[in-house]
Amino acid sequence: MRKIYLTIIGVIILTALFAEYPDGNVILGRIDANMNARTTKSTTTMIVQTRRATRTMESINWSQGSEKSFSEYTAPARERGTKMLKDGDNLWIFDPSTDRTIQISGNMLKQSVMGSDLSYEDFMEETSLRDNYSAVVKGELVHEGRDTWIMELTAKKSTTSYQKIVLYVDKERYVPLYEERYAKGGKLLKTTRVQEVMQSGNRWYPQKILYKDELKDGKGTLFIINKIEFDVKIPAHIFSKASLKK
Amino acid sequence: MIWKLAWRNIQGAGLRSLINIIIIALVMIGIIWSQGMYEGWMRTAERESREWLNGDGRITHKLYDRFDPFSWDKSFEQIPENIQDLVDKGTAVPVLITSGTIYPEGRMISLIVKGIPAGQQFLKLPTAVLADGGDDIPALIGSNMAKSSHLKEGDIVTLRWRDMHGAFNAADIRIAAIMKTPYLEADNGQVWMDLERLQLMKDAPKTATFIVIKDAGDVPQTSDAWTFESIDFLLRDMHAMMKTEKTYGYLMFALLILLAMIAIFDTQVLAVFKRRKEIGIFAALGMTQKQIIRMFTAEGMLYAVFASVAAGILGMPLFIYFGTVGYRMPESYQDFGIEGLSEAVIFYYTPAMIISTVIIVVVITAFVSWIPTLRIARLKPTDALRGRMG
Repeated sequence: MRKIYLTIIGVIILTALFAEYPDGNVILGRIDANMNARTTKSTTTMIVQTRRATRTMESINWSQGSEKSFSEYTAPARERGTKMLKDGDNLWIFDPSTDRTIQISGNMLKQSVMGSDLSYEDFMEETSLRDNYSAVVKGELVHEGRDTWIMELTAKKSTTSYQKIVLYVDKERYVPLYEERYAKGGKLLKTTRVQEVMQSGNRWYPQKILYKDELKDGKGTLFIINKIEFDVKIPAHIFSKASLKK
Repeated sequence: MIWKLAWRNIQGAGLRSLINIIIIALVMIGIIWSQGMYEGWMRTAERESREWLNGDGRITHKLYDRFDPFSWDKSFEQIPENIQDLVDKGTAVPVLITSGTIYPEGRMISLIVKGIPAGQQFLKLPTAVLADGGDDIPALIGSNMAKSSHLKEGDIVTLRWRDMHGAFNAADIRIAAIMKTPYLEADNGQVWMDLERLQLMKDAPKTATFIVIKDAGDVPQTSDAWTFESIDFLLRDMHAMMKTEKTYGYLMFALLILLAMIAIFDTQVLAVFKRRKEIGIFAALGMTQKQIIRMFTAEGMLYAVFASVAAGILGMPLFIYFGTVGYRMPESYQDFGIEGLSEAVIFYYTPAMIISTVIIVVVITAFVSWIPTLRIARLKPTDALRGRMG
């Protein structure tokens, strides 16, 4: 009987060691296909949970690839009318209370957006994982009830902001359910936890995401997508500086 | 004779003369005192700038602009060989600048990270504490920075930065020392660490953003990537601010001089009116109108001369006190980030400053004393003798 147990354990270990994991780069392609679109239009809610208070902000957002995006905050009243435009490497903010447009640059890019766990430079990141990382599947795990691949992503270029990322990717839906972003030296900087996923056509997309700057205190920033449309027609003027003051 | 008569008349006016002299003396003291303050402030700021960060000037990367955060992460290059020779001799200090973020107590603070050789000697920064601490990354901050970030000596705090390629990196740094520097440009919103360590962290070996030069005469020829900034150039904003401050000061003193001169003018008008019979007698005795006018003008000038002496006597203790002990601005002024105000400003008086003030006041007093006497020119001796003004 003991021999049978040992044989079974041995077979399990050998199976685990020689298990054929799928090609990580193929999975990245599937994730990109899910997460990226030619254009998107969405309405979102951002809940910033700091040590002392919780603030809720709503916005309407338009994006074109990873190059251009435009957001307009609609609530609360204090933030209403604040607009943010990204065009390539440039980022501008319009503040209705001062009627001024300022370009966010240098050190200011490191500051958080509306007190959230996201910095302005997070908005400047490339969104295509396939283009920027090579991936290896390191294992599998049941994460919050879903079967996932554990993937380790290594930046292809030294210019990529995060040189290492670890993802737990839903095996069936190809949505990263959990993400760890590391500094070059190995320190964990940011985590992303997808709490709810929605289906739009044949695409699965994160609906409720908790962003956490691991170097900061607080419970993180909850980002909820209330409505999203993919590949919609967006007038070109939306992504112009003139639209900031409209 | 004119001066003798003038002196007698001043004596005769008694208390009125004394008040006039004291008023003019106080104005003179005020002007010299404030000019001494501006001069002392400027010299303090310049000395602090030289001693703490700028030496006799800097060889700066042409893309670096300290007011433009855009420029900080791209304005560095390998130190040219001929400048490296100066660094090796100890007559130049390279500084590398990058932007970063620290997270004290879980808060996020954006700052400037500056790298400087731990072994440098000629700048006053206590960089010896930055010497390699093994696994630790020792860092130095100023007291203002410590106050705003709530950091204490020995605290460990996470620093996040981007290397020269743009990749994020992060490590824990240890606050090795908190320095008390009067030069705010070496304190506010920044953290200092060893140059080689920062070069390694930034993946940019042997690079610098600027090189502080001990002697401007030593500046060698460099490539187009570098440009020499003299100490005057580096202090240009300070000079411009001082010019504005001085202008406000001059306006204030113009107002005070005006008030003092009104007193002199009033005295002279009264004197001419009261002494019309005396004017008539002088004219009858053969004095020309010009001589009489000169006598009244001399009286006015004598006020200024006596006021200069009084200013010397009354102002001397004040000048000596502020010239030795100086004046420390209230703490709240230090928050404005104005250079030269963090330590006591030692007032500095130059001979040119004192002489020009005396000359200006004497000339203006003479002019103001002369205007009322113009009526004498229109006065007939007979009318004057009868006590009429013509």
